[in-house]
Amino acid sequence: MTSYLQLNGISKIYGDFTALSKVDLGVEKGEFVTFLGPSGSGKTTTLMIIAGFEKATTGDVLVDGQSIAAMAPHERNIGIVFQNYGLFPHKTARENVYFPLQMRDQAKVQGLRKASEMLDLVGLKDLGDRYPKEMSGGQQQRVALARALVFEPSLLLLDEPLGALDKNLREQMQIEIKRIQRTLGVTTIFVTHDQTEAMSMSDRIVVFEAGRIQQVATPLDIYHRPEARFVAGFIGESNLIDAVVLDPATRTAASTALGVVEFAPTEKAIQGKPVTLMIRPEHIRLSRKPIDGRRNARMKVETIVNYGDNALVIGNVGGQSMRVRVLGADVVIIKEGDECSISWLPESVYLIAG
Amino acid sequence: MQATISRLTERPNLWPWLLLTPLAVYLAVFFLVPLIDVVVMSFTEPRLTLGNYAHVVTGTLYQRVFINTFATAALVTIVCLLVGYPLAYLMSRASPRTAMLILALVTMSFWTSFLVRTYAWMVLLGDSGPIIGFLKAVGFEHPPHLLFTRFASTLAMVHILAPYMIMNIYSVMRKIDPVLIRSAQSLGARGASLFRHVYLPLTAPGIANGSVLVFVICLGFYVTPVLLGSPREQMIAGLIGTEIEEFLAFGRGSAMAIILLLITLVILTIYHRRFGLDKLWG
Amino acid sequence: MNRLLITLGIIAVVFVVAPLVIVVPMSFSNARSLQFPPPGYWLGYYQAYFTDMGWLRPTFNSIIIAAGTTVLTMILVVPATFALVRHRFAGKSFADVMLLMPLAVPHIVMAIGYYSYLGKLGLVQTHLGVILAHTCLSVPIAFLVLSANLKGFDRTLERAAISLGASPVRTFIHVTLPILKPGLIISALFAFIQSFDETVVAIFISGRDAATLPRKMFDSIRQEADPVIAVVSTLLFVLVLIGIVAPPLWKAIRVRMAAIKTAPALSTIENRP
Repeated sequence: MTSYLQLNGISKIYGDFTALSKVDLGVEKGEFVTFLGPSGSGKTTTLMIIAGFEKATTGDVLVDGQSIAAMAPHERNIGIVFQNYGLFPHKTARENVYFPLQMRDQAKVQGLRKASEMLDLVGLKDLGDRYPKEMSGGQQQRVALARALVFEPSLLLLDEPLGALDKNLREQMQIEIKRIQRTLGVTTIFVTHDQTEAMSMSDRIVVFEAGRIQQVATPLDIYHRPEARFVAGFIGESNLIDAVVLDPATRTAASTALGVVEFAPTEKAIQGKPVTLMIRPEHIRLSRKPIDGRRNARMKVETIVNYGDNALVIGNVGGQSMRVRVLGADVVIIKEGDECSISWLPESVYLIAG
Repeated sequence: MQATISRLTERPNLWPWLLLTPLAVYLAVFFLVPLIDVVVMSFTEPRLTLGNYAHVVTGTLYQRVFINTFATAALVTIVCLLVGYPLAYLMSRASPRTAMLILALVTMSFWTSFLVRTYAWMVLLGDSGPIIGFLKAVGFEHPPHLLFTRFASTLAMVHILAPYMIMNIYSVMRKIDPVLIRSAQSLGARGASLFRHVYLPLTAPGIANGSVLVFVICLGFYVTPVLLGSPREQMIAGLIGTEIEEFLAFGRGSAMAIILLLITLVILTIYHRRFGLDKLWG
Repeated sequence: MNRLLITLGIIAVVFVVAPLVIVVPMSFSNARSLQFPPPGYWLGYYQAYFTDMGWLRPTFNSIIIAAGTTVLTMILVVPATFALVRHRFAGKSFADVMLLMPLAVPHIVMAIGYYSYLGKLGLVQTHLGVILAHTCLSVPIAFLVLSANLKGFDRTLERAAISLGASPVRTFIHVTLPILKPGLIISALFAFIQSFDETVVAIFISGRDAATLPRKMFDSIRQEADPVIAVVSTLLFVLVLIGIVAPPLWKAIRVRMAAIKTAPALSTIENRP
């Protein structure tokens, strides 16, 4: 069964450089999916292949069951919001939004009216006659959004659109974009390298690294059940401990840093396999002495970064650097250089195979 | 755009060639061919011969003219530098409004045609002009004739070409990061040594640009030396004009023209190797 | 060092500007000679210029030739600029340099070449001949200006247009050209001015029938230093002055008018009880 947007076996090779390999993905109609990954991971290249500005070396792109790979970009009926918005400086906001309708030979009066309605929807009711240079970054963003949606595209693609905005505006726009997307029900792909953004906006996240998809899952699944070491390290903070599985039955593994460690129930433990054990910093408790009922280890505190309401304590445990999140009030009792005890529950130790 | 189309059709990209062809053909027919014509004439007028070149290279008159031209071009370049560098410096240090004003003035001079400026100097240096008038007023009874001398022609050329030098140097000065100067000052450089060791080297590309441009234009200058200069001390371009117009000596004139062209090309090639030609007129 | 350079700079400014200004009073002079300061003032020579076909015809010729040169130059240069700025192909760097060649050749050399070559084609002393020659000389400068403009063109705009449904042709018409318009205008202006002012080649090939204004001025200065030259010089100088002062002035006026437009709206809001 194919999804509304289907990518099958997409790869992109430039000479001897592989930008993408074996990308398979299905996006459902109306879904908000984020492509997340560091620079150069292939997320923008994939987006450009969907849009038609890059041609895949192998593989196919299907929308609603039809292959679009052979279609020219101007025939694909896909709305795109570019990083620097791409608003036409010689046209007003309304004329910008009218442009795609103009290209579809829609009558001018109706077209301009529809453009005005779209501007209303994005919250720019009376600004239709302004030129892009007379508008703020946030306003330009909305015009770009309106323009990409006014012709009822089959897909909406956003290429790191919020990068140029300051923090408050970013958060505001994140909410706006979600609202508009929900209202119109348009299938959306959002590209970003900011994991907080991805976590807060997406129905599902696609994590890219080095040209491959590492994991596709809901934000919570990505956070709590990362399937690859890269994903665990990229999303949120984590302590990643190398270990080898001792006994799947007793759920134990041997590590240099923490000795023998118990891990949470999982089907992926195979005896003798090298794995990565992940413990989130907020799942570790800091104390002077070991705590009964929890697993303990000794840590030498190296650095304390105090954020006011919480603090990050970085220290050395058995030769490995570990991070612990502590409530602001609790951190006053320890100093850099102190020896203290860290403790956790086995359920917090997540096993990542590979 | 077009690249997308060709990628979709998987054919080699012919589009740029198509766009370039009209201009390429035009230049070939209306630029290269006349140029080749000059080369051909230098060898075939009045009959097939190397005599034109021999005549031009060995004749004392011609040698004198070549040397005169070079010397004048060098002199003009140096004076333009002495005039232009301080002016560019003034512009770079002045308040933005003053700098814009000065730039506007320099630009006005730059855009005013050679002929108009040459005429202005004719008036200035003429026997009934203000300079002679001033000299007479302060006591010179028989001031020298300033017009139709090498002095007049050189002075006018400096005036005409100075804006080229100024614009070049100014554009480089503008881009100098003030942080560099302040760093040098914090390390102890002051006054003359700051200038010699820091500022001058940083502005060197502008000096080189401007100098090559002025020198090359001056070598081939026709209008001003012909109108203001001494008929007995011609420059190359003027002599070529005389050979063609007065003596109809197409062969000799062409030979001189080709030699002038070769010298110009050599200078520009050396410059291109070192700096890149596109910077010259940028 | 600083003060020395600045003092020299001020002297240099005077040197650069003063000679130009002289032509203006000269044009009002009533003397036949090049006497300066002029003994008296009148408008006689202005009248002479505007009624003398010997001066008006070359002016028209220059305008027609410059216009023709501009059209031909732009037709050739615009596609070539797109080719060289937006595409990579074998021989591109060669083409880049070759295009600038006419700038490197002294005009006197080209003048001889055109005299001979256009002579064989029977185009000496014709408008067409001068246009053909001037186009070669204008091409490099028009190219330099346009390519600088095109290099700074934001290609995302074209991508956006395509993604919105515009075919490559429609993108060019609706997006690329309108945004490139200022660059095209300036490029054309440079080509026009280059042709209008060009002297050396015109001296040799424009002859009597297609004599350009520079040619007429050159002959005039050489032969009898006709005072009308001062009139022409002043007119040309004033044109340049307008050209430089007008754009910022126009901009300032527009800003002032925009402020006036919004002011009444504000005042009605404030005056409401």
